[in-house]
Amino acid sequence: MGRIYEPSLPKLMEAIATEARGMKGLDRRNFLKGGIAAVAGLASVQIIPKASASSNLPPNLPKWQSHLGPGVVSKPYGEPAEFEDLQRRTVPWLTVDAASSISMTPLQDLEGIITPSGVVFERYHGGIPNVNPDQHRLIIHGLVERPLVLTMDDLRRFPSVSEIRFIECPANGGMEWRGAQMEALQFTHGMLACCEWTGVKLSTLLDEVGVKPDGKWILAEGADAAGMSRSIPLEKALDDTIIAWGQNGEALRPEQGYPLRMLNPGWEGNTSVKWLRRLEIGDQPWHHREETSKYTDLMPDGRARRFTWVQEANSVITSPCPEKPLKQSGFVEIRGYAWSGRGKIKAVDISFDGGVNWERTELKGLVLSKALTQFSYRTTWSGQPWLLQSRAIDETGYVQPTLKQLRDERGGWSIYHKNSIHTWNVMENGDVFNVQIS
Amino acid sequence: MFRSLKLIPLLLTMAFSVIVSAGPLGIGSVATPEMIAGWDIDIRPDGTGLPDGEGTVAAGEGLYEAKCASCHGLFGEGEGRWPALAGGEGTLDTLHPEKTVGSYWPYASTLWDYIHRAMPYTAPQSLTDAETYSISAYVLYLNDIVDDEFVANRETFARVKMPNEENFYVDNRPDSKNERCFENCADPKAFEIVTTINGLTPTGHFKEDSGVAANHYDGNPSAASESGISKEKNDTKIVLSDKATLGKGVYDTACQACHNPGIAGAPRTGDKTAWVSRIDQGMDVLNGHAINGYQGADGVMPAKGGNMSLSNDDVINAVAFMVELSR
Repeated sequence: MGRIYEPSLPKLMEAIATEARGMKGLDRRNFLKGGIAAVAGLASVQIIPKASASSNLPPNLPKWQSHLGPGVVSKPYGEPAEFEDLQRRTVPWLTVDAASSISMTPLQDLEGIITPSGVVFERYHGGIPNVNPDQHRLIIHGLVERPLVLTMDDLRRFPSVSEIRFIECPANGGMEWRGAQMEALQFTHGMLACCEWTGVKLSTLLDEVGVKPDGKWILAEGADAAGMSRSIPLEKALDDTIIAWGQNGEALRPEQGYPLRMLNPGWEGNTSVKWLRRLEIGDQPWHHREETSKYTDLMPDGRARRFTWVQEANSVITSPCPEKPLKQSGFVEIRGYAWSGRGKIKAVDISFDGGVNWERTELKGLVLSKALTQFSYRTTWSGQPWLLQSRAIDETGYVQPTLKQLRDERGGWSIYHKNSIHTWNVMENGDVFNVQIS
Repeated sequence: MFRSLKLIPLLLTMAFSVIVSAGPLGIGSVATPEMIAGWDIDIRPDGTGLPDGEGTVAAGEGLYEAKCASCHGLFGEGEGRWPALAGGEGTLDTLHPEKTVGSYWPYASTLWDYIHRAMPYTAPQSLTDAETYSISAYVLYLNDIVDDEFVANRETFARVKMPNEENFYVDNRPDSKNERCFENCADPKAFEIVTTINGLTPTGHFKEDSGVAANHYDGNPSAASESGISKEKNDTKIVLSDKATLGKGVYDTACQACHNPGIAGAPRTGDKTAWVSRIDQGMDVLNGHAINGYQGADGVMPAKGGNMSLSNDDVINAVAFMVELSR
């Protein structure tokens, strides 16, 4: 234990710097700020320096090994270690108000293909409703034989499924249509997450209500302040749509639609209506605001695509990336994620020279349909600059396009569905920057 | 005791039980017409779902100015970065497309549906059917789609034709045809490499001395876009009164949409300069303006921020919250 003493100014600054060295990001800044405040009121300051960082290293006995730690249930619901800095983040100027905005998943810090529920990106059109599950109901009506109202208990009685699927906002990467803008992987690709979802297949519920022959479309509506609504064609509903209450082993998080949401695997995230309260079966689509004014793709000729549901194959290198620069020459495993709304990832290729020459990578871990898929390439780095790219190919044979190919088709104003090959410029010092090659 | 208490609602449910459905698994209860009628709010382009009643452009003008203009502008031009509702005709194929109701939206029904389900932003589903008809009519009028004599009802509304309807088509992707080439796939001499403009996005979480960490929502996009980086918040601790503490919840749901960014002349919360002359008028005046609405030289304060479901005490508490953060 350190002793209490009145330090000199240089000693105090040194102690503050030592303490700050072990901290990250905001903590560190706040600490420094506190330290500076402490310096300002020096006369009365007393600090107790903690043991220096090196004392835990071999051959010394680490301090955490010299006494008992907390026992069971010291945290009935656990949380990440205090040294971790796993956070959703946003770019404040993207939207005008936080209740109708977006935050991004910290892809740079994830391990494996499952996104922890607490850092799944957020997209709200009217904030997060605080829904009491006992008072939540799902009504299914319209062109059906038996209009039903279902409680959460009712829903859990149906045969359930659990599936690992990605969910992605169609605006992922959308800030980059007209140029490189975002300085971090979290902001270029973070409107993306992959979770295990548990619920009942929508086809099972539709059997229960009995869809009439002219029922072709389903309106899904949320219980949020925006009354978020989207028209879903019956074919999708009968294929793989899930009405989910579970996420990664527990109830949905409020941010993800607690207690009930739709999940349309492989389709743009906003079709997976959260806080789901109503399904109406009809013979035509509804053309509501989020499928006309928004989430339609404006083309250079002034016309616009509607019902652009599928998230086409995409990939990105997550290590290295701006947040994870190369720190050492020598062996390096280049890692990343690929995903496709049309099915499984078949292959991912990698280029070190901006797309002139390409190498095959290895897929690792689980390769699931409509799920994040990891790829890996082992190489060595000796300080040479790289223009690093990855290119996904899915089981339909679709090859992830170049930015130029997308722009040639769609111009620069379509906002959504920018799934082009992404470029990281690795500098001689190992720093990584987002660049575009055209 | 606890156990038996929990049973009471269950027994009640069973006693007054609803008709059990006759689906294959027999799960759930019949949704009655009354239940459905309350929630079935959607409108389709063919007019399906439009209710009885009517509204006029003339009635819509006053409603719009009271409930909509503070965000969308008096003429639908959009305040700050809130959506513009009018204008933009002929811009969709230019380098600066303006997607408004008039220039872009394919169906008038969408307007009725969305206003009724989600507007005003801070008080969704608070408008009556007649108000929704009138405001919808007025927004169409702002876009020169109907004239000032227009009376909106189930029949007339479904007949409104939007100018951009024909310019939508169903997704025709995949549209790009990349090849899985491995060697000499591009000409490096033709490369044009565009780099990121530094300072546009928060990078404080991984770069030292680069600006603020993006772990909270600053809520002032205009300041961020003007200066390139968002400003760090003042960390001064303010101890709130009980009233203001109660008001924070109200503020978060009803007031912050305008008072965080400071749109429509709303004084930004925490902006002492903007608040000082207002605070000097005394709390009674401030509370009166907040409850009853106020039209000043700087802008419009809708009565209760447009959310009439708030009680007067809710509003007074929220005002206390803003004032205590802003002096």
